[in-house]
Amino acid sequence: MARKRKLSDKALMKQLQRSTHQNLQAFLFLIPWLIGFTIFSLVPFILTFVLSFQNVTVDYTAPFGYNFEPIGFANYAVAFFGNEYFVPNLISFIMLELTYVPAIMIISFIIGILLNRDIKFRSGFRTIFFLPVIVLSSTVLDQLYSAGGITLSDFSGNIVFSTVMQYSERTAEALLSLFENFTMVLWFTGIPVILFINGLQKINVQLYEAAKIDGATTWQILWKITVPIIKPTALIVSIFTIVQIGMFNVNPLLVQIRDAMYNSAAGLGLTSAYTWVYTLVVLAFVGIAMFLLGRSDKVKNVKLTSIQRRQFEMLKARRDQTTESEVVANG
Amino acid sequence: MAKLKALYQKVVDFGKLIIRKRRVIERYAAQILVYALLITVSYVFLFPLIKMISLSFMSQTDLIDPEIDYIPKDFTFSNFRVSFIVLDAWNSLWNSFWFSGLLAVSQVIVSALTGFAFARYNFKFKRLLFILILISFIIPVPVMLIPRLMMFGNLQDFFRDFFANPDIRLIGTPTPQIIMAFLGQGVNSAILILIFFNFFRMIPTVLYEAAKIDGANAFQQFWHITIKISLSTIVVVFLFSFVWNWNETYITGLFYKDFQSLTAQLGRFDNGFRSAAPDSANQGGEARVTEAYKMAATLLSMIPLFVIYFIAQKQFVEGIEQTGITGE
Repeated sequence: MARKRKLSDKALMKQLQRSTHQNLQAFLFLIPWLIGFTIFSLVPFILTFVLSFQNVTVDYTAPFGYNFEPIGFANYAVAFFGNEYFVPNLISFIMLELTYVPAIMIISFIIGILLNRDIKFRSGFRTIFFLPVIVLSSTVLDQLYSAGGITLSDFSGNIVFSTVMQYSERTAEALLSLFENFTMVLWFTGIPVILFINGLQKINVQLYEAAKIDGATTWQILWKITVPIIKPTALIVSIFTIVQIGMFNVNPLLVQIRDAMYNSAAGLGLTSAYTWVYTLVVLAFVGIAMFLLGRSDKVKNVKLTSIQRRQFEMLKARRDQTTESEVVANG
Repeated sequence: MAKLKALYQKVVDFGKLIIRKRRVIERYAAQILVYALLITVSYVFLFPLIKMISLSFMSQTDLIDPEIDYIPKDFTFSNFRVSFIVLDAWNSLWNSFWFSGLLAVSQVIVSALTGFAFARYNFKFKRLLFILILISFIIPVPVMLIPRLMMFGNLQDFFRDFFANPDIRLIGTPTPQIIMAFLGQGVNSAILILIFFNFFRMIPTVLYEAAKIDGANAFQQFWHITIKISLSTIVVVFLFSFVWNWNETYITGLFYKDFQSLTAQLGRFDNGFRSAAPDSANQGGEARVTEAYKMAATLLSMIPLFVIYFIAQKQFVEGIEQTGITGE
C-alpha cells in the first residue's frame, strides 16, 4: 500500500487503466461460467429455500405454471412429522456419513502410505485402486448389490454386532452395513488414495531422516510428522468423500428426493423442504470436517521418554565401537 | 550328550544370527506384510468384478449347482446374447457416446475459459469467485434441481408461445443438460475448472507478454498459447467429464427421462428383461438365473469404460494429481 501511494498520479492512472482492462478481459472469459452459476446455482439455491415455505401446485393457467401459497413451516412439519420415510432416511443418511467417511479416510490413508513405499507393481496396484472411479455409477452399484456382488460375507451373526444391537439397533445396523459392504467403502477410496499419495510425496524426506536420527520410532514419525502435515489433504479428502457419498444411490435420502421430484403432485414445496434439510446436513458435515481437520498445526517436537533416550545413547555408543563394515551390514 | 550340546550350540548360533540379522529380517517381514495387505485389499476391490465376470459366464445348471463358486463348469455366452438384446446395446452405446461426448466437449470449453481467467488475470472479486467455485462443488445437486426444472419448463412454454408451435420440447431432450454443461454447471464442473486452473498457472507469463508485444489480443493469447500448450490437460479433462457424464443418471433421469443410454438402460434392465424375455425369467423360478443375465448386462455396459480406462489410465491418475488441491 505504501508503495502505491508514492506513485505519481500519471502512473496511478495508467495502473488503474490497466487493471480495469484486466478486469474486462478476465470477465470476458468468465461470462459463461458467471451466467451459469448465477442462473443455475445461485438463484435456484435461494429459490429452493423460498419454495420450501410455500405450497407449490401445478397450475397451467398461473403466470409461471405454478401456484404459490406461503404456508410457513408447514412443509418442514410434514417432512419431520408427517412423512413416515423422511426421518428414517435422514437418520440412515447421517449414519452412512458417520460410518463411511471415517472408514474411507482411514483406509485410503493406509493405502496411500503403503503405495508411497518403494514397492514393485506400484502402478499396477494404483490402477486397481483407481478403477472404481471410472466404472462407479448408481445403476452399476444397484445391479452388483442386487446380485450379491458387494457383500463379502455375512457378519450379522457375529457376537460383536449382537452385543451392540442390544444397546443401539441403529448403530449396529450402520456398522453391519459398513462391514458387509466393505467393498463399497473401498470403491469410494479411488480419488482419496491418489490425493493422499500426492500429499505424502510432498513431505520433505529430510524431516523423516532428522526424526530418525533423533531416535523417533516409526509410530512416532507417523503421528508427529506425517499426520500433522497431511491434515490439509485429509480435510479435502473428507469434504470430497462427504459430497461423493451423497451422490450415489446408497444414500436413501437421494432416492426419496428423486422420487418426490418425479411426481410433482406430491408438492414441490415439500420436496424443496426435503432438499434443504438434506443440504443443511451435508453442510453441517463439511463444517464438522473443517472444525476437526481445518486447523493446521506445526510439526510437533518429537519428545523422547527417558528410557528411549537411554536406549538411543546406548545404541550410539555401541555404533561408535563397531567397525565400519558392521554398520553397513546392520543397515 | 555331545550331540545335544552341538545342537544347543547350533540353536544358539542360529539365535545370534537372527539377532544380528534382525534388521534385514524385519525389513523383509515388513515388505511381505505390505504386499499381503495390498493383495488382500486388491482382492476386496476386485471382488464384485470377479463375481460379476464369473456369474455372467455361468450356464443355468452352473448357477443352481451349489458346488460351483467362481469357475463355471460349462462356459456359455448365452447370458451375453440375451442381455445384449435387452440392453439394445448398439443403440444405447451410440446414445451414451454422443451424449457424454457432447457434454464433455461443452464442459471442456467452459472449464478452460474459466480456468484461464483465474490463472492469467488479477481481477476484482477473484477470491470470492474462486471460493464460490469451491462451494458449488459442496452444495448438493438436488437442492438446485427443482428451480432448474421450473426454469426449463417456463422456457419451454415461452418458446412454444413465441414460435406458436406446441411441439417444441426442452424437457425430455438433451438440450437442458447441454446448456447447463456449457455454462459450467455440469457434473463435477468445479473439479474440471480446478484441473485447468492449476495447469494454466504453471505457464510462464513471459510467453503472454511476448505475444502481447507481438500484438496478440486476449483470445489469440488464449488460443495460440494456452490451448496449444495444454492439449494433454484437455484430454484429461475431456476423459473425466466423459466418464462422469456416462455414469450420471440422477440429473439425466430428471431432464431426459426416456433417454436410452447404456447406463440408464442397465437401470431399467429388470423391467426390460421381463418384457423382452418373459419365458426365461420364469425358468426354474430361481433368482440366481436372472442374476446371471444382470451381471452379463452390467459387464457389457462396463466394457467401453474399461477400454477407455486401460488406454488412458495414466491420464486419469495424473489428472487428479494435477488438480493440485492437495497443495494449497
